[in-house]
Formats: sequence, structure tokens, C-alpha cells
Amino acid sequence: MKSVQWIFVPILVVASSLTLLYPNFAERELELAVRKEFKQLPEETRKELLTGFAERWKADYNPKGDWQIEPDPNIFPDQDYYLVKGRFITSAKINQLSQENQELILEPKNKLRPTWVEEYIFGGRPLAIRLGLDLQGGMRVVLKGDFDDYTSKLKDSYTKEIEELTRKKDDHSLSEKERKEAQDKLKEIESYFELTPSRKLAELEKAKLIIDNRLTNQNLTEPQVRIQKDQDSIEVSLPGVSNSSQILDIIRNTETVEYRLREPSDSNGNSRGIYHDAIELEEMKLMNDGRREETEIVRFQNIVKQKLGKDEQDRFLEAMEKKYNIPEKYKLYVKWSRANNPKASLLPREFVVLERAISLDGKDMRNARESYDQNRLSYYVSFSLTSQGAEKFFDITSKNVGRQLAIVWGDKVISDPVIRSPIAGGNAQIDGEFGQKEATDLANVISEGALPIPLNVLEMRFIGPTLGIESIEVGLKAVLLGFALVIIFMLIIYRLSGLVADIALLVNVIVLMALLSLMGFTLTLPGFAGIILTVGMAVDANVIIYERIKEELAAGKHVSAAVAQGFENAFWTIMDSNVTTLISGILMIKLGNGPIKGFAITLCWGIITSLFTSLFLSRMIMDLLVNKLGVRKLQIGFKKLESKNV
Amino acid sequence: MFDFIKYKYVSITFSTILIAVGFGVTFGKYGGFATSLDFDGGLRAVVEFPENVERKNLEEYFSSKNLEAVLVLMDKDKNDYQIDIGLGSVDQIKQLYVERKGKDSLEAKQASAIDALIGLLQEDFKLEKKKILSANQVGSVVGAELTSTGISLLSLTLFFIMIYLSFRFQFKFALGAILALIHDLVITIAFIGFFQIKPSVPIIAALLTLLGYSINDTIVVFDRIRENAGNLRDAFSQIINISINQTLSRTFNTSVATLISVVAIIIGGAVELYDFAYVLTFGIILGTFSSVFIAAPLVDIYDGLSKRWKRS
Repeated sequence: MKSVQWIFVPILVVASSLTLLYPNFAERELELAVRKEFKQLPEETRKELLTGFAERWKADYNPKGDWQIEPDPNIFPDQDYYLVKGRFITSAKINQLSQENQELILEPKNKLRPTWVEEYIFGGRPLAIRLGLDLQGGMRVVLKGDFDDYTSKLKDSYTKEIEELTRKKDDHSLSEKERKEAQDKLKEIESYFELTPSRKLAELEKAKLIIDNRLTNQNLTEPQVRIQKDQDSIEVSLPGVSNSSQILDIIRNTETVEYRLREPSDSNGNSRGIYHDAIELEEMKLMNDGRREETEIVRFQNIVKQKLGKDEQDRFLEAMEKKYNIPEKYKLYVKWSRANNPKASLLPREFVVLERAISLDGKDMRNARESYDQNRLSYYVSFSLTSQGAEKFFDITSKNVGRQLAIVWGDKVISDPVIRSPIAGGNAQIDGEFGQKEATDLANVISEGALPIPLNVLEMRFIGPTLGIESIEVGLKAVLLGFALVIIFMLIIYRLSGLVADIALLVNVIVLMALLSLMGFTLTLPGFAGIILTVGMAVDANVIIYERIKEELAAGKHVSAAVAQGFENAFWTIMDSNVTTLISGILMIKLGNGPIKGFAITLCWGIITSLFTSLFLSRMIMDLLVNKLGVRKLQIGFKKLESKNV
Repeated sequence: MFDFIKYKYVSITFSTILIAVGFGVTFGKYGGFATSLDFDGGLRAVVEFPENVERKNLEEYFSSKNLEAVLVLMDKDKNDYQIDIGLGSVDQIKQLYVERKGKDSLEAKQASAIDALIGLLQEDFKLEKKKILSANQVGSVVGAELTSTGISLLSLTLFFIMIYLSFRFQFKFALGAILALIHDLVITIAFIGFFQIKPSVPIIAALLTLLGYSINDTIVVFDRIRENAGNLRDAFSQIINISINQTLSRTFNTSVATLISVVAIIIGGAVELYDFAYVLTFGIILGTFSSVFIAAPLVDIYDGLSKRWKRS
């Protein structure tokens, strides 16, 4: 390591680290997205909201006035965002801005413009160090799986098979073997409804995956989704989320997409089914009497318009099922569509009676995509089927030509085309009266899959962004203070060598932070703890080295030899102590989660960087000082230890 | 040169007393460790109080009812407070509610703890229902997670460290290091109980930091012993003694440097991290103590014992 060229290695490392860290301290631009709906608010409310925003901007968000905002917060911007320029625009601050001005600012659309480093080197990937929930504020929800509901739905999807198998089982014209088979199969199906812990876990895993996807699609910064096995629940951490109810709805959305056959029409194909016709007749009567308001469909529409909730809708439908004596085999649904005008709102327009058995469900579909149909001026959703799904679909469509196959999205029938011919090939599409958003939503539901189990909120907590900002500021101050004191301490005790150690320490922290931001690590309080320990260990390595050099000097060695020998002697000590710590760190990463993991990741990378700085960088600088720059005296400690052989 | 080995039994006795006192006070005086919502679960409500209600008023209110509640101001403008009530006070809340409503009232009988809390708050502060922004029975999120992974994690870590040290050193060193590590953890946990520090995520971080620091510290001393064992012809206990003394200034300087950065947290006023800093400060002093007075002496004791076994 005597060669001077090697000095380029640490210089290069530091330079690239600083480049990586650049977004953290550079002046940045933030597009603070404003809500489109804001303009529709009454004049007075708008004014009030804007003044509130302007006041808080001056007093809370930007008290020192070192950020600029365009246009003035008192004015609603012409473009769809306010442009904020300044240094240290942290996610905590952005959260605070959006949360305290929810009616003005649309949080998911906020955009921190990439700096040149992010833009040109990393293709737009954000590099700034991310902050965890405890540091930037946000929300945490624990959701418990409702397995009762899950089983009842599962039973629905097997209705047809169970019916058939029961018939076979009791059919004495069949051979003993066939009946036995049917019975076994029946038992097998029944076993599906028993939920073992491992089954539950598997369903939770699926739910977790879907939640993960949904949250990622919402452009949320950093959702963390974890399963809590012993509580049958899923924990979701959402740093920086303010609009909790909307997010919660997205997470808990159990909407499914299913195909169900409509009740059969009569043999001439003139009716649309007995039960459907019965309802229709009743409705027509009321209409003809001029009692439109009393028709069931208008009453149902009112429930929807008044937002009385799904339970109310379900109750209404159940009552109707009773009234019209709809047998267990069928279930009453409502078809939603727009009135002739494509801009009209989607509303329930017609009652339809579908088979309770599900013909094809979301599990059989995949890769959905929305597209625009030029001819019909509306959107449709195309998708492909799994091989099993394709088989089922072909089977259903070939057996039921002429019947209507309804597509049920959530609890809405969105389209019920007549099957004209068997459909093979595993590709299909859904035409409904879709706007773009609905088509996208439907495509998402198909692609992501539906949540397998309904989830109830078990616990919800918020960490206000202000709390986060304070923790960061104070925490950072404390860490910096500690850092400064350590640096002074090292200078006092080890003088010139202390300076070398301090440089190594600084480089260590810079490289560590750069690594963490490169990996997209989320910094939390335990992470902070890991960094503090790293600083301690980095100092320790240098102390060990210097104490060894001191001993060599005391034994009368030449400075150059003493330095070389000191590093040599210290090498294995440092290795051993760091490797043991590394072992515990790696185990913590592997086994622990949450706080333990965050701590361990910083610790492990900290060990690696501190090995680099203490064994490589320090040594290089010391070599440089002693061998090239001709330093002849190294004062370590307070005793004068001068080399005797100079 | 100070003779550390000579006083090994003194230091071990001292440690044992420390542990006994720590746990004695924890369980004798306080009946266990402090509870915290993160670890044990409890009740949590977020409430918008009228403007004239301040933190002081709330604190008085809860202490007058003998309820242990942690208050966090969530939103200054709206005067929103988050109220955390640990499991320890849940029964008390129910009792208060029953007293208020009368023993035979159906309302009181059917009320869950969270209903009782809301009921009391609504009446006493004359709140409308919508001012209770949220109220939940909170499960033990962190606690459940950590107890399940914590023990297996710790034993595995110790196991692997033992293998590494047996391989790099000898079994007796591995044993000494592990025992010293357990010693540090046990005393620190006793300390947490003694001062009734509320278990929390930062406390876990502190314990982990301590684990890392303590291993590090012990290995440095052991490394020196190993090195000297090859060079010197002295008795083993003498070698240990010399080694400890040789590494003493390193041990001291490192401890001071690390302590400085931890103490800075307390001086710097990071209130959120106070408990973390206290535990670490204690832990670092302890870790330093154990690497000098416990780890190496234990190796010496084991060495002596194994020699005696061999002879007999």
C-alpha cells in the first residue's frame, strides 16, 4: 500500500458518495399538487383555505423565509401545482404541507423534481434518504382478517359442484364406485371450508401481496405491509399518508370480478326469466300509475344517492328476494349503467336475477388492460384467462349458448351479454359503459386480484408530521453534537493522528449514508442508533491502532516502522471484533423485522464502511504522512513518545 | 499494574448483587416491568378537546382518577390529543364507569373498556360524539413480535458467535464472551426494570447496540490475551492481567468517545431518545466493566476448573 496511486481509491469513493448524497443537500424543486375540485368550492371557502395556507406558510412551514413558493400562497396557481424551491425539503415537511391543507393539496400527486444526479445517472430514481414512519409521520393500521365471511363466499363458489355431487352420491342408478368417488370429492370440498392456521396464513400472504400492489399503484412513498401471524392480521405502515380514509378504502376493498349466468329465459327466448319478469311487471304497473317514486329501482337508487352504505343495499335486496320468492339457487343483483347520455352518472337501472354459483371468478383471469373503442366511443377491458380458466370459460359458453352471462364487479352487474357461440382461446373482453377511470379500476381489480379475505380495522394510529419533524431536528442536532464532541476528543487525545481518525470518521459516515440512500433504505430511530454505534466502532478501530502504534513507539521503534507494525498488530483485533458484531447483525437482518432489521442494516453496512476507512483509508493517510510528507514525530496520548532512532 | 484477576470474585459478586437488586426492585416494588402500549396493548383514543382544555388540565384529570395516561398533542390548532392508556388502568376505567352509571345499569354492564373511556370523557368534558376522532383497543404490536423473534434471535446469535470465537480463539474464550454478553443484557434489563423505563422500539435498539458494543469490547481484550499467550511464559492468569492492563487505555478512550456521542443525545435535548440514551449510557459503562472485570476473569475461572478436571 505504499504506492501513492492508491490514494485515488478513497478520493473516488468519497467523490461518488458525495454525488449520491447530493440530492439531500442540494436546492430542490417541489411540485405541490393542487386539487382540481378546489375550484368548485364556494368562493368563501376557497378564500379561507388559501389564507390559512398562506399564514401557515409564513409562520410554520417557512419561518426563516429560505424557501420560495410560486405563485404566492394567497393565489390559486394557473398550472396544477405550486412550485416550492429550497434546500432540505424533507418528506416530513411535504407531509405536513399536504396534511394541514388537505382540501387544497392533493398529496399523492406531489412531486419532488429530480436533481441532475437522479435524472441523468439514475434515470429519475429518487436518491434522497428516506425517512421512516417515526421520523416523517404517517399512519399505521392493523387489519384483521374476517374468515367467517371468507368461508361463506367460498361456499358460494362451490354451490354448483356440491349440488351435483350430492345428486350423484344419492343416485342409486350409478355404480358403487362412482357414488363413492362423488362422496370423496364432496368430503374434499368440505375440507376446503375448514381453516387451518396454515391455510389462514396462506390467505393472509395473498392479501398482503394484493395490498402491496394496490399501495404501489397509489404511488405511495413507502408502504410496508407485514403479517402478524398470531393475530391473523396484517399491519400496514404508510409513512406520510394523510388522507387515511381514502387509503383505508383502497386497502380494504374486497371487490371481485365474477361471471355469473342469468336465470334462464323460457324455451322461446321471449322472457328474460320468470323472476325478472315478475319484478318488471310490478315495476311497470307502478310506472303506469304514475307512481315512479315508489318503484323498487327508484327506491334503490335513492339508497345509493343518499350513500346509506352497502349494508342498507344488501338489506333492500334481501327483502326483495323474499317478496318475489326467489329460490336459494338464485340471487338478486342490480345492473348499473348510464342513462342514454354517456356523461350521466353510473346508477342502478335494472334488477337482474343471477345464479348463485359463480361461473368464473377473478382467480381465472389475469393481465387485464383497458383500451378505447373508437367506434363505440367508450372503454373496454380485455384480459386473458389462465389455462384452467380458459377451459371453464369454453365449457360454460358452449353449454349455455343463447343465455346471458353477467359480469359482476363488486356487487354491480356491469354488463350481461348473450353468449352467441362458445368462446375458446383464453382471451376475452368486457364491454360496459365505462369511463376511463372505471375501466382502469376494473382492469386493476382483475390484474391484482381481489382481496381474498375481508379485513376489519383492528388498530389505527397516526404519527403527526410535526412530531416527526421535531424528532428529526432534535435527533439530528444530538447526533451532530455527539459527532463534533467525538472529533474534538480525538484531536485532543491523539493530535495529528486524531485528525487522521477524524477524517476517516467523516468519510465513514459519508460513505455509509451514500450506501444507504443508494439502497433505498428507510431511516428510522433505530437506524439512527445503528449509526451512532457505527461511529463508536469506527473510533474504536482507530483507537486500537493508535494504542498499538504508541506501544511500538514506546518500545523505541522508528515512526515508519511503528506505524506499519501498529496497523499489523491491530488488524486481527479489529477484524475479530467486527466480524463477531457482523454475525449478530446479519442474524438480526435475517430473523428480525421492523425496528431490529432497520438497526441491523445500518450496523452491518457501518461495519463494512468502517473496516474500509480504518484499515485502508487511515493507513493510507498515515503512510502518506510518515513516508512521503516526512512526519517524524507522532504524539499519541499525553506522554511524549519520540522516536529514538531519528 | 492493577491485579484484576485477584478481585474476580469481588467483581462477580458485585454483578450478582446488582442483578438481584435490579430484579428484586422490579418485581418486589413495582410488580414487574413498566407497561407500554407498544408492548402490552391498551386503549388509545384521539380526542379533540375544547380550546380551554390544556395538557395540564388533562394530566390533572387523569391523575385524579388514578389513571395512567400518556398524552400526545397531535394537532395544536385543533387541540387534538392522543390518549394512551396502558392495560394496567383498563380495569380502573371500567370500575369508574360502573360507579358513574350505577351497578345495575345495563349500559355499564355491556360497556367495553373503550366504551367506558369514551363515556367518561364525553361526560366530563362535555364533548360531542364527533369530537372523539378515534378510539381503539390497541393490540401489542411490537411486544408480540419481539417476544416471538427475540429469544430465538438471541440464542442463535450467541450460538454463531460461539462458533466463530471457538474457531478463532478457543472454547474457553467463546464461553467467557457469551457469558459476559448475557451478563450485560441481564443487568441492563434489570436496570430497565429498576428505573421503570417503558419498553419501546428505541429501547430495543439500545439493547441491540449494547450487544454489539459489548461483543466488540470483549473481543479486543481477548485478542490481546491470545497474542500474549503465545509470547509470554507466565501463568495464564498473569497473562490475562497483563493483557487487560495493556488494553486499558484503549478501553477507556473508546468508552469515553462512545459515551460522548450518547450523552450528547441527552444534552442535545432529543426527548424522544432520552430513554434510549439512558439505557445506552448505562450499557456502555457496564459493557466496559464486564469486558474488564467479568469476561476475562470468567475465562480464568473456567481455565482453572478445566485444569483441575484434567488432573482428577
